[in-house]
Amino acid sequence: MKVLAVIADLLREAAARRWFLALAIALTALLLLLLTSLRLEVVDGALAATRLFGEPMFHDIRPADVALRPVFQVASQVVFWGGLLFGVLACADFGPALLSPGRIEFLMALPVRRWELLLGTFLGVLVLAVGGALYAAGGLVLVLGGKTGVWTGWPLLSALLAALSFGAVYAAMLAMALWVRSAALSAATGMVVVGLGLLATHRRTLMAAMENGPGRALFAAVTALVPPLGRMAQVAGALASSAPLAPGSLLRLLLGTLAFTAAVLAVAGYRFERKDF
Amino acid sequence: MPAALEVTDLHKRFRSPLGRVEAVALDGVDLEVPAGEAFGLIGPNGAGKTTFIKCLLAICAPDAGTVSLLGGPPERAASRARVGYLPERLALPGAWTPRAFLASVARLKGIPPDPSALESLLDRVGLAEATGRRIRGFSKGMRQRLGLAAALVGSPELLVLDEPTDGVDPLGRVEIRNLLAAELARGATLFINSHLLSETERLCTRIGILDRGKLVRSGPLELLTRVERRWRVAFAEGAPSAELVALGFEPDGPGGWLLVAPDAPALNAALDRARAAGALVVALERASKDLEEVLAEAVEPAR
Repeated sequence: MKVLAVIADLLREAAARRWFLALAIALTALLLLLLTSLRLEVVDGALAATRLFGEPMFHDIRPADVALRPVFQVASQVVFWGGLLFGVLACADFGPALLSPGRIEFLMALPVRRWELLLGTFLGVLVLAVGGALYAAGGLVLVLGGKTGVWTGWPLLSALLAALSFGAVYAAMLAMALWVRSAALSAATGMVVVGLGLLATHRRTLMAAMENGPGRALFAAVTALVPPLGRMAQVAGALASSAPLAPGSLLRLLLGTLAFTAAVLAVAGYRFERKDF
Repeated sequence: MPAALEVTDLHKRFRSPLGRVEAVALDGVDLEVPAGEAFGLIGPNGAGKTTFIKCLLAICAPDAGTVSLLGGPPERAASRARVGYLPERLALPGAWTPRAFLASVARLKGIPPDPSALESLLDRVGLAEATGRRIRGFSKGMRQRLGLAAALVGSPELLVLDEPTDGVDPLGRVEIRNLLAAELARGATLFINSHLLSETERLCTRIGILDRGKLVRSGPLELLTRVERRWRVAFAEGAPSAELVALGFEPDGPGGWLLVAPDAPALNAALDRARAAGALVVALERASKDLEEVLAEAVEPAR
Protein backbone atom coordinates (compact mmCIF):
# COMPACT_ATOMS: atom_id res chain seq x y z
CA MET A 1 0.00 0.00 0.00
CA LYS A 2 1.37 3.39 -1.05
CA VAL A 3 0.41 5.01 2.28
CA LEU A 4 2.89 2.72 4.05
CA ALA A 5 5.62 3.75 1.60
CA VAL A 6 4.89 7.43 2.33
CA ILE A 7 5.01 6.72 6.09
CA ALA A 8 8.33 4.86 5.71
CA ASP A 9 9.81 7.79 3.75
CA LEU A 10 8.68 10.29 6.38
CA LEU A 11 10.23 8.20 9.18
CA ARG A 12 13.47 7.94 7.23
CA GLU A 13 13.43 11.71 6.77
CA ALA A 14 12.74 12.23 10.49
CA ALA A 15 15.64 9.95 11.42
CA ALA A 16 17.96 12.30 9.57
CA ARG A 17 16.71 15.39 11.41
CA ARG A 18 18.65 16.72 14.39
CA TRP A 19 15.45 17.54 16.31
CA PHE A 20 14.51 13.90 16.60
CA LEU A 21 18.04 12.74 17.27
CA ALA A 22 18.22 15.30 20.10
CA LEU A 23 14.88 14.09 21.50
CA ALA A 24 16.01 10.45 21.46
CA ILE A 25 19.31 11.36 23.16
CA ALA A 26 17.59 13.56 25.77
CA LEU A 27 14.96 10.92 26.63
CA THR A 28 17.57 8.18 26.85
CA ALA A 29 19.84 10.34 29.03
CA LEU A 30 16.92 11.19 31.34
CA LEU A 31 15.93 7.56 31.70
CA LEU A 32 19.54 6.53 32.33
CA LEU A 33 19.84 9.27 34.94
CA LEU A 34 16.76 7.95 36.72
CA LEU A 35 18.01 4.40 36.40
CA THR A 36 21.37 5.18 37.94
CA SER A 37 20.56 7.97 40.40
CA LEU A 38 17.09 7.20 41.74
CA ARG A 39 17.12 4.86 44.74
CA LEU A 40 13.78 3.54 45.92
CA GLU A 41 13.73 1.44 49.08
CA VAL A 42 10.71 -0.82 49.14
CA VAL A 43 9.99 -2.84 52.29
CA ASP A 44 7.08 -5.32 52.34
CA GLY A 45 5.43 -3.54 49.41
CA ALA A 46 5.76 -0.10 50.98
CA LEU A 47 8.04 2.65 49.79
CA ALA A 48 10.33 3.28 52.74
CA ALA A 49 12.59 5.87 51.14
CA THR A 50 13.32 7.65 47.86
CA ARG A 51 16.72 9.12 47.16
CA LEU A 52 17.82 11.05 44.07
CA PHE A 53 21.58 11.73 43.90
CA GLY A 54 21.74 10.39 47.48
CA GLU A 55 19.36 13.04 48.92
CA PRO A 56 16.09 11.79 50.53
CA MET A 57 12.97 13.02 48.69
CA PHE A 58 10.10 11.77 50.89
CA HIS A 59 10.12 10.64 54.52
CA ASP A 60 6.70 9.09 55.02
CA ILE A 61 6.24 5.34 54.47
CA ARG A 62 3.41 4.56 51.99
CA PRO A 63 2.36 1.62 49.80
CA ALA A 64 4.67 1.64 46.79
CA ASP A 65 1.90 1.84 44.14
CA VAL A 66 0.26 4.79 45.96
CA ALA A 67 3.60 6.52 46.47
CA LEU A 68 4.36 6.25 42.73
CA ARG A 69 1.07 7.83 41.62
CA PRO A 70 2.27 11.44 41.80
CA VAL A 71 5.45 10.41 39.97
CA PHE A 72 3.45 8.89 37.11
CA GLN A 73 1.06 11.83 37.11
CA VAL A 74 3.84 14.39 36.81
CA ALA A 75 5.60 12.23 34.21
CA SER A 76 2.38 12.01 32.15
CA GLN A 77 2.02 15.81 32.21
CA VAL A 78 5.62 16.22 31.11
CA VAL A 79 5.07 13.72 28.29
CA PHE A 80 1.75 15.35 27.31
CA TRP A 81 2.70 19.03 27.25
CA GLY A 82 6.38 18.53 26.50
CA GLY A 83 5.52 16.14 23.69
CA LEU A 84 2.86 18.48 22.32
CA LEU A 85 5.17 21.51 22.24
CA PHE A 86 8.13 19.53 20.94
CA GLY A 87 5.94 17.97 18.25
CA VAL A 88 4.58 21.34 17.13
CA LEU A 89 8.10 22.70 16.67
CA ALA A 90 9.79 19.58 15.31
CA CYS A 91 7.04 18.48 12.92
CA ALA A 92 6.09 21.91 11.55
CA ASP A 93 8.28 21.44 8.50
CA PHE A 94 7.00 18.04 7.29
CA GLY A 95 3.97 19.45 5.48
CA PRO A 96 5.79 22.37 3.82
CA ALA A 97 8.68 20.02 2.89
CA LEU A 98 6.25 17.63 1.23
CA LEU A 99 4.82 20.50 -0.79
CA SER A 100 8.16 22.06 -1.71
CA PRO A 101 8.61 22.89 -5.41
CA GLY A 102 10.46 20.14 -7.23
CA ARG A 103 9.36 17.51 -4.75
CA ILE A 104 5.59 17.65 -4.89
CA GLU A 105 5.56 17.66 -8.72
CA PHE A 106 7.77 14.59 -8.75
CA LEU A 107 5.60 12.78 -6.19
CA MET A 108 2.40 13.64 -8.02
CA ALA A 109 3.72 12.28 -11.29
CA LEU A 110 4.21 8.92 -9.54
CA PRO A 111 1.25 6.55 -9.30
CA VAL A 112 0.42 7.83 -5.82
CA ARG A 113 -2.95 9.42 -5.13
CA ARG A 114 -3.05 12.79 -3.44
CA TRP A 115 -4.99 11.50 -0.46
CA GLU A 116 -2.36 8.77 -0.01
CA LEU A 117 0.35 11.44 0.25
CA LEU A 118 -1.67 13.45 2.73
CA LEU A 119 -2.70 10.49 4.86
CA GLY A 120 0.79 8.99 4.74
CA THR A 121 2.32 12.26 5.95
CA PHE A 122 -0.23 12.57 8.75
CA LEU A 123 0.13 8.96 9.86
CA GLY A 124 3.92 9.15 9.63
CA VAL A 125 3.94 12.07 12.06
CA LEU A 126 1.48 10.21 14.28
CA VAL A 127 3.79 7.17 14.32
CA LEU A 128 6.61 9.49 15.42
CA ALA A 129 4.42 10.94 18.18
CA VAL A 130 3.28 7.53 19.39
CA GLY A 131 6.86 6.20 19.25
CA GLY A 132 8.25 9.15 21.24
CA ALA A 133 5.49 9.05 23.85
CA LEU A 134 5.71 5.29 24.29
CA TYR A 135 9.50 5.42 24.54
CA ALA A 136 9.34 8.01 27.33
CA ALA A 137 6.43 6.42 29.21
CA GLY A 138 7.65 2.84 28.63
CA GLY A 139 11.14 3.73 29.84
CA LEU A 140 9.73 5.28 33.01
CA VAL A 141 7.53 2.22 33.64
CA LEU A 142 10.53 -0.07 33.22
CA VAL A 143 12.80 2.01 35.50
CA LEU A 144 10.24 2.41 38.26
CA GLY A 145 8.89 -1.13 37.87
CA GLY A 146 12.38 -2.58 38.07
CA LYS A 147 13.20 -0.59 41.20
CA THR A 148 9.90 -1.02 43.06
CA GLY A 149 8.28 -4.15 41.65
CA VAL A 150 5.16 -2.09 40.80
CA TRP A 151 4.29 -2.84 37.19
CA THR A 152 1.55 -0.85 35.49
CA GLY A 153 0.52 -0.33 31.89
CA TRP A 154 -1.58 2.80 32.54
CA PRO A 155 1.24 5.28 31.81
CA LEU A 156 1.49 3.73 28.35
CA LEU A 157 -2.19 4.34 27.73
CA SER A 158 -1.75 7.87 29.00
CA ALA A 159 1.11 8.35 26.51
CA LEU A 160 -1.13 7.13 23.67
CA LEU A 161 -3.70 9.74 24.70
CA ALA A 162 -0.99 12.42 24.47
CA ALA A 163 -0.05 11.19 20.98
CA LEU A 164 -3.68 11.22 19.92
CA SER A 165 -4.04 14.80 21.15
CA PHE A 166 -0.99 15.76 19.13
CA GLY A 167 -2.62 14.10 16.11
CA ALA A 168 -5.49 16.62 16.35
CA VAL A 169 -3.04 19.52 16.60
CA TYR A 170 -0.95 18.21 13.70
CA ALA A 171 -4.00 17.79 11.45
CA ALA A 172 -4.59 21.55 11.76
CA MET A 173 -0.89 22.26 11.10
CA LEU A 174 -0.94 20.11 7.96
CA ALA A 175 -4.14 21.75 6.72
CA MET A 176 -2.59 25.20 7.16
CA ALA A 177 0.48 24.11 5.16
CA LEU A 178 -1.86 23.35 2.24
CA TRP A 179 -3.00 26.97 2.19
CA VAL A 180 0.32 28.63 2.94
CA ARG A 181 3.51 26.59 2.53
CA SER A 182 5.32 27.89 5.60
CA ALA A 183 6.82 25.96 8.51
CA ALA A 184 6.54 29.02 10.77
CA LEU A 185 2.84 29.42 10.03
CA SER A 186 2.30 25.69 10.49
CA ALA A 187 3.97 25.86 13.93
CA ALA A 188 1.97 28.99 14.81
CA THR A 189 -1.23 27.14 13.89
CA GLY A 190 -0.20 24.30 16.20
CA MET A 191 0.38 26.76 19.05
CA VAL A 192 -2.98 28.43 18.43
CA VAL A 193 -4.77 25.06 18.53
CA VAL A 194 -2.98 24.18 21.78
CA GLY A 195 -4.00 27.55 23.22
CA LEU A 196 -7.60 27.16 22.06
CA GLY A 197 -7.57 23.63 23.47
CA LEU A 198 -6.66 25.05 26.87
CA LEU A 199 -9.39 27.69 26.60
CA ALA A 200 -11.87 24.99 25.53
CA THR A 201 -11.12 23.13 28.77
CA HIS A 202 -12.33 26.11 30.78
CA ARG A 203 -14.91 27.41 28.30
CA ARG A 204 -17.87 27.34 30.72
CA THR A 205 -15.99 29.29 33.40
CA LEU A 206 -14.71 31.79 30.85
CA MET A 207 -18.09 32.19 29.15
CA ALA A 208 -19.70 32.90 32.51
CA ALA A 209 -17.40 35.90 32.79
CA MET A 210 -18.31 37.23 29.31
CA GLU A 211 -21.03 39.62 28.23
CA ASN A 212 -23.60 38.27 25.81
CA GLY A 213 -22.81 39.31 22.25
CA PRO A 214 -20.93 38.32 19.11
CA GLY A 215 -17.59 37.96 20.95
CA ARG A 216 -19.05 35.45 23.38
CA ALA A 217 -20.82 33.62 20.57
CA LEU A 218 -17.61 33.41 18.57
CA PHE A 219 -15.70 32.17 21.60
CA ALA A 220 -18.41 29.58 22.26
CA ALA A 221 -18.36 28.40 18.63
CA VAL A 222 -14.59 28.13 18.34
CA THR A 223 -14.01 26.44 21.68
CA ALA A 224 -16.85 24.01 20.98
CA LEU A 225 -14.96 22.74 17.91
CA VAL A 226 -11.46 22.42 19.35
CA PRO A 227 -10.60 19.39 21.53
CA PRO A 228 -10.25 20.43 25.20
CA LEU A 229 -6.56 19.62 25.48
CA GLY A 230 -6.34 20.65 29.13
CA ARG A 231 -9.03 18.11 29.95
CA MET A 232 -7.21 15.52 27.87
CA ALA A 233 -4.05 16.18 29.89
CA GLN A 234 -5.99 15.78 33.14
CA VAL A 235 -7.42 12.47 31.96
CA ALA A 236 -3.98 11.34 30.81
CA GLY A 237 -2.60 12.17 34.26
CA ALA A 238 -5.45 10.33 35.97
CA LEU A 239 -4.91 7.30 33.73
CA ALA A 240 -1.16 7.25 34.39
CA SER A 241 -1.72 7.33 38.15
CA SER A 242 -4.48 4.70 37.98
CA ALA A 243 -7.01 7.20 39.36
CA PRO A 244 -10.71 6.58 38.62
CA LEU A 245 -12.39 8.46 35.75
CA ALA A 246 -15.98 9.62 35.42
CA PRO A 247 -17.93 7.02 33.41
CA GLY A 248 -17.94 7.81 29.67
CA SER A 249 -15.67 10.85 30.01
CA LEU A 250 -12.71 9.23 28.25
CA LEU A 251 -14.87 7.92 25.42
CA ARG A 252 -16.47 11.34 24.86
CA LEU A 253 -13.07 12.99 24.79
CA LEU A 254 -11.67 10.39 22.39
CA LEU A 255 -14.62 10.61 20.02
CA GLY A 256 -14.53 14.41 20.06
CA THR A 257 -10.80 14.50 19.33
CA LEU A 258 -11.12 11.93 16.56
CA ALA A 259 -14.03 13.81 15.00
CA PHE A 260 -12.03 17.08 15.05
CA THR A 261 -9.00 15.34 13.49
CA ALA A 262 -11.09 13.64 10.79
CA ALA A 263 -12.93 16.86 9.94
CA VAL A 264 -9.74 18.91 9.64
CA LEU A 265 -8.10 16.19 7.52
CA ALA A 266 -11.17 16.09 5.28
CA VAL A 267 -10.93 19.86 4.72
CA ALA A 268 -7.17 19.48 4.05
CA GLY A 269 -7.85 16.63 1.63
CA TYR A 270 -10.47 18.69 -0.22
CA ARG A 271 -7.99 21.53 -0.60
CA PHE A 272 -5.14 19.19 -1.66
CA GLU A 273 -7.24 17.45 -4.33
CA ARG A 274 -8.04 20.79 -5.98
CA LYS A 275 -4.70 22.50 -5.63
CA ASP A 276 -2.45 23.15 -8.62
CA PHE A 277 1.30 22.77 -8.17
CA MET B 1 0.99 3.90 -34.50
CA PRO B 2 -1.08 4.72 -31.36
CA ALA B 3 -0.49 8.05 -29.68
CA ALA B 4 1.42 8.11 -26.40
CA LEU B 5 0.05 11.56 -25.72
CA GLU B 6 -3.07 13.23 -27.02
CA VAL B 7 -4.01 16.73 -26.00
CA THR B 8 -7.11 18.49 -27.26
CA ASP B 9 -7.96 22.17 -26.85
CA LEU B 10 -6.10 22.57 -23.57
CA HIS B 11 -6.68 25.81 -21.67
CA LYS B 12 -5.16 26.92 -18.40
CA ARG B 13 -5.42 30.31 -16.75
CA PHE B 14 -3.90 31.33 -13.46
CA ARG B 15 -6.12 33.44 -11.28
CA SER B 16 -5.58 35.59 -8.23
CA PRO B 17 -7.28 34.54 -4.95
CA LEU B 18 -10.08 36.98 -5.91
CA GLY B 19 -10.64 35.18 -9.22
CA ARG B 20 -9.05 37.76 -11.53
CA VAL B 21 -7.18 36.17 -14.45
CA GLU B 22 -3.48 36.93 -13.94
CA ALA B 23 -1.96 34.88 -16.74
CA VAL B 24 -3.10 32.76 -19.65
CA ALA B 25 -0.65 29.86 -19.55
CA LEU B 26 -2.26 27.63 -22.19
CA ASP B 27 -4.65 28.86 -24.82
CA GLY B 28 -6.17 25.99 -26.78
CA VAL B 29 -3.26 23.60 -27.30
CA ASP B 30 -3.79 20.54 -29.51
CA LEU B 31 -1.00 18.00 -29.74
CA GLU B 32 -0.46 14.36 -30.54
CA VAL B 33 2.79 12.51 -29.90
CA PRO B 34 2.99 9.07 -31.54
CA ALA B 35 4.31 6.22 -29.39
CA GLY B 36 8.00 5.47 -29.81
CA GLU B 37 8.94 8.97 -31.00
CA ALA B 38 11.11 11.65 -29.42
CA PHE B 39 9.20 14.91 -29.16
CA GLY B 40 10.85 18.18 -28.21
CA LEU B 41 8.83 21.09 -26.82
CA ILE B 42 10.58 24.41 -27.20
CA GLY B 43 9.64 28.03 -26.72
CA PRO B 44 10.68 31.22 -24.97
CA ASN B 45 10.51 31.68 -21.20
CA GLY B 46 6.94 32.00 -19.98
CA ALA B 47 5.53 30.30 -23.06
CA GLY B 48 3.65 27.77 -20.90
CA LYS B 49 5.92 24.74 -21.41
CA THR B 50 6.17 23.70 -17.76
CA THR B 51 2.44 24.30 -17.20
CA PHE B 52 1.76 22.13 -20.23
CA ILE B 53 3.87 19.31 -18.77
CA LYS B 54 2.14 19.69 -15.40
CA CYS B 55 -1.25 19.38 -17.10
CA LEU B 56 -0.05 16.24 -18.89
CA LEU B 57 0.68 14.62 -15.53
CA ALA B 58 -2.33 15.92 -13.55
CA ILE B 59 -0.08 18.05 -11.36
CA CYS B 60 -2.10 20.99 -12.58
CA ALA B 61 -5.77 20.78 -13.57
CA PRO B 62 -6.62 22.38 -16.94
CA ASP B 63 -9.58 24.78 -17.14
CA ALA B 64 -10.76 23.10 -20.34
CA GLY B 65 -9.63 20.46 -22.79
CA THR B 66 -8.66 16.83 -22.51
CA VAL B 67 -5.41 14.95 -21.96
CA SER B 68 -4.87 11.30 -22.76
CA LEU B 69 -1.73 9.79 -21.29
CA LEU B 70 -0.91 6.39 -22.82
CA GLY B 71 -4.58 5.94 -23.58
CA GLY B 72 -5.92 6.92 -20.16
CA PRO B 73 -6.60 10.07 -18.16
CA PRO B 74 -3.53 11.35 -16.27
CA GLU B 75 -5.58 11.53 -13.05
CA ARG B 76 -5.63 7.73 -13.03
CA ALA B 77 -2.65 6.38 -11.06
CA ALA B 78 -2.40 3.39 -13.42
CA SER B 79 -1.65 5.76 -16.34
CA ARG B 80 1.06 7.56 -14.40
CA ALA B 81 2.61 4.24 -13.36
CA ARG B 82 3.83 3.87 -16.95
CA VAL B 83 5.46 7.31 -17.02
CA GLY B 84 8.87 8.52 -15.84
CA TYR B 85 9.11 12.22 -15.02
CA LEU B 86 12.03 14.51 -14.35
CA PRO B 87 10.89 17.95 -13.14
CA GLU B 88 12.84 21.09 -13.95
CA ARG B 89 14.17 21.49 -10.41
CA LEU B 90 13.95 18.19 -8.60
CA ALA B 91 14.24 18.53 -4.81
CA LEU B 92 16.10 15.52 -3.46
CA PRO B 93 16.37 14.33 0.16
CA GLY B 94 19.89 15.41 1.10
CA ALA B 95 20.36 12.94 3.95
CA TRP B 96 19.57 9.90 1.83
CA THR B 97 21.85 7.86 -0.40
CA PRO B 98 20.92 7.56 -4.10
CA ARG B 99 20.21 3.88 -3.53
CA ALA B 100 17.68 4.66 -0.79
CA PHE B 101 16.08 7.36 -2.93
CA LEU B 102 15.61 5.06 -5.91
CA ALA B 103 14.27 2.30 -3.62
CA SER B 104 11.68 4.80 -2.34
CA VAL B 105 10.70 5.76 -5.90
CA ALA B 106 10.34 2.07 -6.77
CA ARG B 107 8.08 1.47 -3.77
CA LEU B 108 5.93 4.49 -4.66
CA LYS B 109 5.68 3.14 -8.20
CA GLY B 110 4.48 -0.15 -6.75
CA ILE B 111 7.60 -2.04 -7.83
CA PRO B 112 9.43 -4.18 -5.27
CA PRO B 113 12.89 -2.54 -5.01
CA ASP B 114 15.50 -4.80 -6.59
CA PRO B 115 18.94 -3.68 -5.30
CA SER B 116 20.82 -5.02 -8.34
CA ALA B 117 18.44 -3.31 -10.79
CA LEU B 118 18.80 -0.03 -8.91
CA GLU B 119 22.60 -0.36 -8.87
CA SER B 120 22.60 -0.96 -12.61
CA LEU B 121 20.37 2.10 -13.11
CA LEU B 122 22.83 4.23 -11.13
CA ASP B 123 25.60 2.78 -13.25
CA ARG B 124 23.73 3.73 -16.45
CA VAL B 125 23.48 7.37 -15.39
CA GLY B 126 27.12 7.48 -14.35
CA LEU B 127 26.66 7.41 -10.58
CA ALA B 128 28.14 3.97 -9.89
CA GLU B 129 30.91 5.50 -7.76
CA ALA B 130 28.50 7.52 -5.64
CA THR B 131 25.91 4.92 -4.62
CA GLY B 132 26.85 5.04 -0.93
CA ARG B 133 27.30 8.82 -0.67
CA ARG B 134 24.71 11.18 0.75
CA ILE B 135 22.86 13.21 -1.86
CA ARG B 136 23.56 16.50 -0.06
CA GLY B 137 27.18 16.28 -1.27
CA PHE B 138 26.19 15.88 -4.93
CA SER B 139 26.93 18.48 -7.59
CA LYS B 140 24.11 19.88 -9.73
CA GLY B 141 25.01 17.55 -12.55
CA MET B 142 25.01 14.51 -10.26
CA ARG B 143 21.59 15.50 -8.93
CA GLN B 144 20.32 15.78 -12.46
CA ARG B 145 21.65 12.31 -13.27
CA LEU B 146 19.97 10.91 -10.17
CA GLY B 147 16.70 12.56 -11.18
CA LEU B 148 17.03 10.91 -14.56
CA ALA B 149 17.67 7.53 -12.89
CA ALA B 150 14.50 8.07 -10.81
CA ALA B 151 12.54 8.77 -14.00
CA LEU B 152 13.87 5.54 -15.49
CA VAL B 153 12.80 3.33 -12.55
CA GLY B 154 10.51 0.59 -13.83
CA SER B 155 11.39 1.12 -17.53
CA PRO B 156 8.49 3.51 -18.25
CA GLU B 157 6.78 3.63 -21.64
CA LEU B 158 6.81 7.42 -21.67
CA LEU B 159 9.56 9.68 -20.37
CA VAL B 160 8.63 13.30 -19.68
CA LEU B 161 11.82 15.24 -19.11
CA ASP B 162 11.92 18.92 -18.21
CA GLU B 163 15.42 20.25 -18.97
CA PRO B 164 17.15 16.85 -18.64
CA THR B 165 20.69 18.13 -19.27
CA ASP B 166 20.43 21.28 -17.14
CA GLY B 167 23.65 21.67 -15.13
CA VAL B 168 25.33 18.70 -16.78
CA ASP B 169 28.79 19.18 -18.32
CA PRO B 170 29.26 18.68 -22.10
CA LEU B 171 30.57 15.11 -21.78
CA GLY B 172 27.74 14.26 -19.40
CA ARG B 173 25.27 15.63 -21.95
CA VAL B 174 26.62 13.21 -24.54
CA GLU B 175 26.19 10.34 -22.05
CA ILE B 176 22.61 11.42 -21.29
CA ARG B 177 21.86 11.76 -24.97
CA ASN B 178 23.16 8.23 -25.59
CA LEU B 179 21.11 6.94 -22.67
CA LEU B 180 17.96 8.57 -24.01
CA ALA B 181 18.70 7.22 -27.47
CA ALA B 182 18.89 3.74 -25.90
CA GLU B 183 15.51 4.34 -24.23
CA LEU B 184 14.10 5.35 -27.59
CA ALA B 185 15.53 2.19 -29.15
CA ARG B 186 13.88 0.19 -26.36
CA GLY B 187 10.55 1.56 -27.57
CA ALA B 188 9.96 4.32 -25.05
CA THR B 189 8.43 7.64 -26.08
CA LEU B 190 10.38 10.76 -25.14
CA PHE B 191 8.79 14.11 -24.38
CA ILE B 192 11.52 16.65 -23.77
CA ASN B 193 11.35 20.29 -22.79
CA SER B 194 14.75 21.90 -23.17
CA HIS B 195 16.29 25.31 -23.66
CA LEU B 196 19.27 23.66 -25.29
CA LEU B 197 18.02 23.66 -28.86
CA SER B 198 21.05 21.79 -30.18
CA GLU B 199 20.30 18.95 -27.74
CA THR B 200 16.66 18.88 -28.80
CA GLU B 201 17.65 18.92 -32.45
CA ARG B 202 20.01 15.99 -32.01
CA LEU B 203 17.59 13.82 -30.12
CA CYS B 204 14.08 14.65 -31.23
CA THR B 205 12.37 13.69 -34.45
CA ARG B 206 9.32 15.88 -33.84
CA ILE B 207 9.20 19.39 -32.49
CA GLY B 208 6.51 21.65 -31.06
CA ILE B 209 6.96 25.37 -30.51
CA LEU B 210 4.89 26.91 -27.76
CA ASP B 211 4.55 30.67 -27.52
CA ARG B 212 2.26 32.54 -25.13
CA GLY B 213 0.18 29.44 -24.51
CA LYS B 214 -0.32 28.51 -28.15
CA LEU B 215 1.35 25.78 -30.16
CA VAL B 216 2.57 27.91 -33.06
CA ARG B 217 4.46 25.16 -34.92
CA SER B 218 4.44 21.39 -34.65
CA GLY B 219 5.67 18.55 -36.81
CA PRO B 220 8.63 16.45 -37.88
CA LEU B 221 11.96 18.22 -37.35
CA GLU B 222 12.94 17.66 -40.95
CA LEU B 223 9.89 19.50 -42.24
CA LEU B 224 10.17 22.38 -39.79
CA THR B 225 13.81 23.05 -40.59
CA ARG B 226 13.52 22.54 -44.34
CA VAL B 227 13.91 25.61 -46.52
CA GLU B 228 11.75 25.25 -49.61
CA ARG B 229 13.44 25.74 -52.99
CA ARG B 230 16.93 26.11 -51.52
CA TRP B 231 19.65 23.54 -52.04
CA ARG B 232 23.13 23.15 -50.65
CA VAL B 233 25.66 21.93 -53.22
CA ALA B 234 29.27 20.93 -52.66
CA PHE B 235 31.68 20.98 -55.60
CA ALA B 236 35.08 19.28 -55.86
CA GLU B 237 38.17 21.41 -55.25
CA GLY B 238 39.06 23.75 -58.09
CA ALA B 239 35.50 24.63 -59.09
CA PRO B 240 35.36 27.95 -61.03
CA SER B 241 33.95 30.34 -58.43
CA ALA B 242 33.36 33.28 -60.76
CA GLU B 243 31.38 31.16 -63.23
CA LEU B 244 29.34 29.59 -60.43
CA VAL B 245 28.43 33.03 -59.06
CA ALA B 246 27.47 34.08 -62.57
CA LEU B 247 25.22 31.01 -62.81
CA GLY B 248 23.32 32.02 -59.66
CA PHE B 249 25.16 29.97 -56.97
CA GLU B 250 25.90 31.75 -53.66
CA PRO B 251 29.01 30.81 -51.64
CA ASP B 252 28.10 29.07 -48.35
CA GLY B 253 31.22 28.18 -46.38
CA PRO B 254 34.30 26.29 -47.62
CA GLY B 255 33.42 24.28 -50.76
CA GLY B 256 29.69 24.84 -50.23
CA TRP B 257 27.22 26.73 -52.40
CA LEU B 258 23.56 27.60 -52.10
CA LEU B 259 21.19 27.44 -55.03
CA VAL B 260 17.57 28.54 -55.38
CA ALA B 261 15.60 26.23 -57.69
CA PRO B 262 11.79 26.13 -57.77
CA ASP B 263 11.59 22.50 -58.93
CA ALA B 264 13.62 19.43 -59.98
CA PRO B 265 14.05 20.37 -63.70
CA ALA B 266 15.35 23.82 -62.74
CA LEU B 267 17.71 22.27 -60.18
CA ASN B 268 19.09 19.79 -62.73
CA ALA B 269 19.44 22.46 -65.39
CA ALA B 270 21.46 24.67 -63.00
CA LEU B 271 23.69 21.74 -62.05
CA ASP B 272 24.21 20.86 -65.73
CA ARG B 273 25.35 24.41 -66.41
CA ALA B 274 27.76 24.29 -63.46
CA ARG B 275 29.19 20.98 -64.62
CA ALA B 276 29.57 22.37 -68.14
CA ALA B 277 31.59 25.22 -66.60
CA GLY B 278 33.98 22.65 -65.08
CA ALA B 279 32.52 22.20 -61.56
CA LEU B 280 32.17 18.61 -60.29
CA VAL B 281 29.24 17.93 -57.93
CA VAL B 282 30.26 15.88 -54.87
CA ALA B 283 27.23 16.45 -52.62
CA LEU B 284 23.70 17.77 -52.84
CA GLU B 285 21.18 18.24 -50.05
CA ARG B 286 18.12 20.30 -49.29
CA ALA B 287 19.16 23.42 -47.40
CA SER B 288 17.83 23.56 -43.83
CA LYS B 289 17.65 26.04 -40.98
CA ASP B 290 18.74 25.27 -37.46
CA LEU B 291 16.17 25.11 -34.70
CA GLU B 292 17.16 28.52 -33.38
CA GLU B 293 16.11 30.11 -36.66
CA VAL B 294 12.90 28.10 -36.74
CA LEU B 295 12.08 29.22 -33.20
CA ALA B 296 12.88 32.85 -33.96
CA GLU B 297 10.70 32.77 -37.08
CA ALA B 298 7.81 31.14 -35.24
CA VAL B 299 7.90 33.43 -32.25
CA GLU B 300 8.87 36.77 -33.77
CA PRO B 301 5.79 37.42 -35.95
CA ALA B 302 3.56 37.31 -32.92
CA ARG B 303 5.68 39.80 -30.93
